[in-house]
Amino acid sequence: MLEHSLFVRLGRFFFLRDRRFRRVFLRASFRFFSFLIVSFVLTGFLSQIGDFYYPFQPQPAIAQVSVDNQAGGSFTDAAGNPGAVTSNTTTIATAGSAGLTIIKTADRAAVEPGDVVVYRLLVRNTSTRPISPITLEDRLPLGVRYVENSFTAAPLRIRSSRINGRTFTLEFGNATLNPGDSFTVAYAALITPDAVRGNGRNVAQASAPGVISTATFRLTIRPGILADCGTIVGRVFVDKNFDGEQQSGEPGVPNAVVFMDDGNRIVTDVDGLFSIANVISGNRVGTLDLSSLPGYTLAPNLYRLSDNSQSRLVRLEPGGLARMNFAVTPAFGEGQEQ
Amino acid sequence: MKFAVGMVTGAAIAGLFPGLVAAQTSPETLPAVRIVVNSPLDGPIQPDGALTLREAIAIANDTLALDDLSVPEQAQIEPLAAGEASTIVFNLPPEETTIYLTAVLPDLAAPGLVVDGTTQPGYGATRPDLPEIPVPVVSLTPAPGREVFRGFTVSGPGVTVRGFSLYGFWSRDRATKTTPPADIFIASAPPPADSSPDAPPIEFFNLEDPEIAPQQVVIEQNWLGVKPDGTTPAQRSAFGVSIFNSVGAQVRNNLIQNHEGSGVITGYRATGLALVGNAIIGNGVAGIPDAVRLEGDVTEATILNNLICANDGSGIFLFKPEGGTLIQGNDIRFNGRRFERAAVYVMGAGHQILANDIGYQPGPGVAVAAAAPSDRTLIRDNRFTQLQGLSIDLVTQNNASIQDFQRGDGPNPPRNSRQRRRDTANGAINAPSFDRYVFDRGGDTVRLVGKADPGSEVDLYRVVEDAGVYSPLAEPMMTVPTAADGTFEAVWDDPAGGWVSAIATNPEYGTSEPSPVIQILGTDGTSPDRPSPAPYLATCLADAEPEAPAPPRAVTPDPIRLRIPRNIHFALDRSDISPESAAILDQIAAALLDYPSLVVELHGHTDPRASVAYNQALSERRAIAARDYLVRRGVAPERLRIVPLGESQRRSQGNSRLDFARDRRVEFIFTDTQGLNILFEDLETDLQLE
Repeated sequence: MLEHSLFVRLGRFFFLRDRRFRRVFLRASFRFFSFLIVSFVLTGFLSQIGDFYYPFQPQPAIAQVSVDNQAGGSFTDAAGNPGAVTSNTTTIATAGSAGLTIIKTADRAAVEPGDVVVYRLLVRNTSTRPISPITLEDRLPLGVRYVENSFTAAPLRIRSSRINGRTFTLEFGNATLNPGDSFTVAYAALITPDAVRGNGRNVAQASAPGVISTATFRLTIRPGILADCGTIVGRVFVDKNFDGEQQSGEPGVPNAVVFMDDGNRIVTDVDGLFSIANVISGNRVGTLDLSSLPGYTLAPNLYRLSDNSQSRLVRLEPGGLARMNFAVTPAFGEGQEQ
Repeated sequence: MKFAVGMVTGAAIAGLFPGLVAAQTSPETLPAVRIVVNSPLDGPIQPDGALTLREAIAIANDTLALDDLSVPEQAQIEPLAAGEASTIVFNLPPEETTIYLTAVLPDLAAPGLVVDGTTQPGYGATRPDLPEIPVPVVSLTPAPGREVFRGFTVSGPGVTVRGFSLYGFWSRDRATKTTPPADIFIASAPPPADSSPDAPPIEFFNLEDPEIAPQQVVIEQNWLGVKPDGTTPAQRSAFGVSIFNSVGAQVRNNLIQNHEGSGVITGYRATGLALVGNAIIGNGVAGIPDAVRLEGDVTEATILNNLICANDGSGIFLFKPEGGTLIQGNDIRFNGRRFERAAVYVMGAGHQILANDIGYQPGPGVAVAAAAPSDRTLIRDNRFTQLQGLSIDLVTQNNASIQDFQRGDGPNPPRNSRQRRRDTANGAINAPSFDRYVFDRGGDTVRLVGKADPGSEVDLYRVVEDAGVYSPLAEPMMTVPTAADGTFEAVWDDPAGGWVSAIATNPEYGTSEPSPVIQILGTDGTSPDRPSPAPYLATCLADAEPEAPAPPRAVTPDPIRLRIPRNIHFALDRSDISPESAAILDQIAAALLDYPSLVVELHGHTDPRASVAYNQALSERRAIAARDYLVRRGVAPERLRIVPLGESQRRSQGNSRLDFARDRRVEFIFTDTQGLNILFEDLETDLQLE
């Protein structure tokens, strides 16, 4: 962030009207950037000096060499003669490009609650000037907690660290980062269950006087053991002893179709097995599509009345596993009406 | 006394758990008796004037004491010498030879029991088209309005069932189906129909011990699923012979027809099954469609010299069996009436399919699965005719789609990796390839040279049909070995030319798919024409041998002129035949009976409303209903083929009720197998508006 200051001397008359002032302002020539007036300060009529500033951000991607700036003002004297003054020209060297770059990575892309993730920050001086002092600021995602005393930095050494909630600030004292040099900071963070509610995105910022650079990194946060989804496994097989369970000698039926209550369609494999991951927990119902297995139909179960049904109801716990077996037997009497 | 708990309790247990009798009875202690059944009645066991079959079985099983019978009944029972097996013979009053069962008969549990329907006076007449299987006299069927789900239930070793007509054994749906109903069910512990408080404990089904399984059961000379007069019963039986758990069962010389499911189906174990000389016709019309469905342990099962014809699915389907089977000398024709499956579909290892006649199938001849590991399937000396697919189709690359498990996947590319050996049936043995597609005649003989997998034998087949690059292997000609580098050479010395295809067999892997057909020029520089399709007659029984191709007709015959409608229409969401449609079907049946060379495809259609899947099933039900009507009018099922088309081919364009009524139809696509033209006239007298 730079501040330009524009000094306007108003001559004998300390009479300044807003309108003229605006004219003064508008005649200032701003090149290369759209200006943004944040505020202006008029130090006082008696001082006859108006002092106002506007901030701007250098545009790091543009390979410019310098930013020239000049302001001008006009006035009308007591005799009614117009006059004009121009300021000196200020020139800001852009030092090649932005001074600092920062890259943030982690040792994994996806985490579950309970995991420890190691973040690594790489700060590089890409300018042609030494940079000092450097401050690093990092804001961790929701539910990700810094592991104490895990900061390591090389080759620069951390002089002070402040942790404020999810934000910490590292300072490196008077250490200087020479052009082209870089240093790394690594630290560990614990994924707490709260992380599931957040977006896993954090922002690190390296700053030095006159330069600032940010980097973001996003962790994919999986619910892990806190998932409320479960898994359903099952099989479709030819039942020989009518107990609804598959024993040896009871082959699986390939290409049988099972429909879930949410419309999912699952096809059994060569061995008659199927599985469904990430099933929302609760009472789930699956049903065998009999038209998918011409020649077979549901087998009677001589022992469990509840299995004498085309559908299976399972109560799936969050993160749990439920079984949905369909016993079939060679069909007869298909397609009869009444 | 065999039951420590006493006879009454023993009988009660036998009633609840019929198989327990077999488990608890030691064979030696049963007295041998000869029992004459002289009453066709059925009902509770009670002392009355004549002996019923139910009482006879109970006596043979020794679950009924002689004292519980009346004196005239006791007179029908004659003790035999020790060591002989009990026999149940029949002396029913003439004209009262149908036994209407009111409940499932007791198990045939006595070891060596012979239940012999051929002893009924008057037995022995035969039908001319079925000389080996005499017409039975004694019939067993459920009493009207009663549901009896099994005819004979065999649980004892060495039991013989001979010379009966069994039909109508079926069960209604409960929440699910019942356990398999069948005309004849063979198991040591036959499961009850459904769950009930009396359901036996799980330990009851000791399926694993082969010692308990009934050994050497013989089922012969029965007509299953068909009345003695040859007609289809009003209620079809569910399955024919269900060999659920048995060792060395012999099923021979039976007529097995008209079942809703398979004619012969195995369950847990059918080791050493001998299925010999049966006529298995028109089964699978409303259930598992394959004529012979083998599952479970079928080690050393043999299927010899059967006629397997006009069934709805495959002729023989081996679904994940254990052990190898021998399939030899069968005549497998006109199957796939409803599902376009392979005539013989094989999973598992070590099967031999030898010297069968396989033809007229809307699918490949023999298909071998890949996904359920299948290798060392030897397929040799078979004759194939009129297939829609390869003669031998080895599924490759672990293909496991629905098609691959019913029909196969077409010609395989040559093996390009040793991994193919594991993911392709029969170890991915390469089909032989000839050096040229056309062999010129250099001298008196032609050297046919080509390449096959080293170590294999190459069988050359004559090809007579023109069905494209891969035509059915019509007739085995010669077998030549391969050299160490895989080249083979055969000599063609017929002065006439011909068409040849070849398969390679390596006992280590099995038999390959056929090579593309090659042409051999005769001395006159030409080859015989390959007719497409050759004329044939769609019939199962008229003569068991596939007849030689009819000689070309000398004069152009008159076309058949059919003045009949070719559509029947249905009410909304219905598949039953209306009286108007029945009148049309009568005309169609009459035309089919008039012209034996006509065959029909029944295309089922629906209107466009409701889901595609629902309409597909509805159109199939409509076509099945129409076919069932025609079959009951005497049209042979081998002439009717079902093609359900769902809502894919509407008749009309619009959306009015009339348009929809026109859409709801079954179309009859007539074809003349002798190549005659047919002239049609359209009629529409049975539209049913909503």
